[in-house]
Amino acid sequence: METKNLSKISLFILAAILANGCASSGVRNPSGVPVTEMKADERGFVAGTGVESQDLVAVTDKMARSILNVRQIANAQGTPRIVLDPVVNETRFPINKTLFLDKIRISLNSKSQSKVSFLARDRMDALEKERRLKQAGQVTSSSDPNVVEFKGADFFLTGKLQGMTTKTAAGTSDYILYSFQLIDARTSDIVWEDSAEIKKQGLEDAAYR
Amino acid sequence: MKCIRWPIILAMSLFLVGCESTRYVPGKPLTGDPLIDGQNAIESGPPKDRVLWQYRTAVVAMRRGQFSEAKRLLDDALARIGNVLGKDPSARKARGYFSPEAKKTFIGEPYERVMAYYYRGILYWMDGEPDNARACFRSAALEDSGTADKKYSSDYVLLDYLDGLASLKLGGDGSDAFKRAEAEARLSHPPTADAKANVLVFVEFGQGPTKYAMGENAELLMFRAGVSSARAAQVLVDQKTYQLRPYDDLYFQATTRGGRVMDHILANKAGFKRTTDVVGDVGLVSGLVLATRKDTQVAGLGVAAAGLLSKIASASTRPEADIRSWDNLPLFLTFAALELAPGPHTVTVDFLDEGSRLLGGQSKIITINVPDAPADKVVYVSDKSSTPQTQ
Repeated sequence: METKNLSKISLFILAAILANGCASSGVRNPSGVPVTEMKADERGFVAGTGVESQDLVAVTDKMARSILNVRQIANAQGTPRIVLDPVVNETRFPINKTLFLDKIRISLNSKSQSKVSFLARDRMDALEKERRLKQAGQVTSSSDPNVVEFKGADFFLTGKLQGMTTKTAAGTSDYILYSFQLIDARTSDIVWEDSAEIKKQGLEDAAYR
Repeated sequence: MKCIRWPIILAMSLFLVGCESTRYVPGKPLTGDPLIDGQNAIESGPPKDRVLWQYRTAVVAMRRGQFSEAKRLLDDALARIGNVLGKDPSARKARGYFSPEAKKTFIGEPYERVMAYYYRGILYWMDGEPDNARACFRSAALEDSGTADKKYSSDYVLLDYLDGLASLKLGGDGSDAFKRAEAEARLSHPPTADAKANVLVFVEFGQGPTKYAMGENAELLMFRAGVSSARAAQVLVDQKTYQLRPYDDLYFQATTRGGRVMDHILANKAGFKRTTDVVGDVGLVSGLVLATRKDTQVAGLGVAAAGLLSKIASASTRPEADIRSWDNLPLFLTFAALELAPGPHTVTVDFLDEGSRLLGGQSKIITINVPDAPADKVVYVSDKSSTPQTQ
């Protein structure tokens, strides 16, 4: 009888030790999660309400497809030349501004089959330096370096990100409007404009409130 | 067979006691250099404290003029706090009865998160990105929203003023932001913004608030007031002196938010602790009394065992508040926007006491090179900055 009671007490103590010792029970992924490769347009498990890769991909793809249908591009005589003007960020999220236009440019270049051409105005310093070297005879040149061959822009492509945020006890909600424009460099006409809007919301754990 | 049963069970118990999901790896020995010690703490310390060490170390780097390092640390920290929405296992554990609040990943109280965005905004403007700087100031203002009393919600003067100034410099309209800044001003009123100002001087001084716990079970989060012998600053450049009064006080910001949701959870934990403690006492005493009588012995032992369980539960309950603090923040924030000719200049920043007397030994000398328009030159100075510096 005594042995039986002793066994019960011991089992109880054992259960207490187990419950106390196994601190990782109930903890999801206690050992972490190995790195997995994802598609850029896929939403990961690490997410906030700001601008993320899947938003960038969705927005820039939409803009690239839309630009190709613009009459001035589709029916252009020759190859229209476009300069990228930095995107203006009016949201509360700091962003890599060049990433948007670079992605649109890359999408356009790959989808347009050379219907449009982009001018590397961000490289002008290096290009002008090269031209000066050629003019000075310090490097060889396959054409007359004194002839101005840098192309002028037919259009400017620019964009703006605007946001609206609401934060209450129920959570945080962010709405972002991505708008892009193609501007005629000669007349300042806005020949194309399109936009995409994304809204996200979430609520942090009570421990952070 | 029976004689080997107990050793096996004991061995299993010991094994499982050792089965911990997180291990603290002892950090490297302290070197006395806060930048190196901070980086070691980030790399080797508990992951839940990583953001705290990133905050602290970023400020040390900024005060030494090592802005690239500060950028790197703040970007990592802000990425963490920006993705705090949704399920968080460490936060869930921190809400549990048997884990302290300090179990959660540190992201800081709102005034600490504000400062992380504020510093990152300064660094973006330094890099010629006023729109991204403005984005940081806006995110900072959002971190200060949701106060119990709406009049203290998003009430940092500098955040709204800088929002408006960035908009003005970007060719936009900052008037709404300037109006908000003016309405929020308590310590001093910000100057009229000048779009031609091309040198932005961010100054801070004093020792910011730190946290401590009060209450029977240390469940009440309190803030120790910051201290500052300096009450104002002045900037001397090109034989002109510009007076700087503080616009924001971090102790005021820390203490005017009202309660947290977590305070209610900690109060519940403290209540549970007290109740189970009392139940445990009653159970043990009455159980032992009953156990002295032969006819109630078994029941008495059962009640005593339940009382013991309750005492264990009470002892294991952890209602103490998280008092981890970003403890090298300043107390006061101020700012000046100057118009200087392009080229080299020497800027001297002095700190003044309550009587506008110069505080000896605290002057900072910064050599700057003002770029051609339209770029701005951004200067950051703390009363704890190293001197001289070239920025």
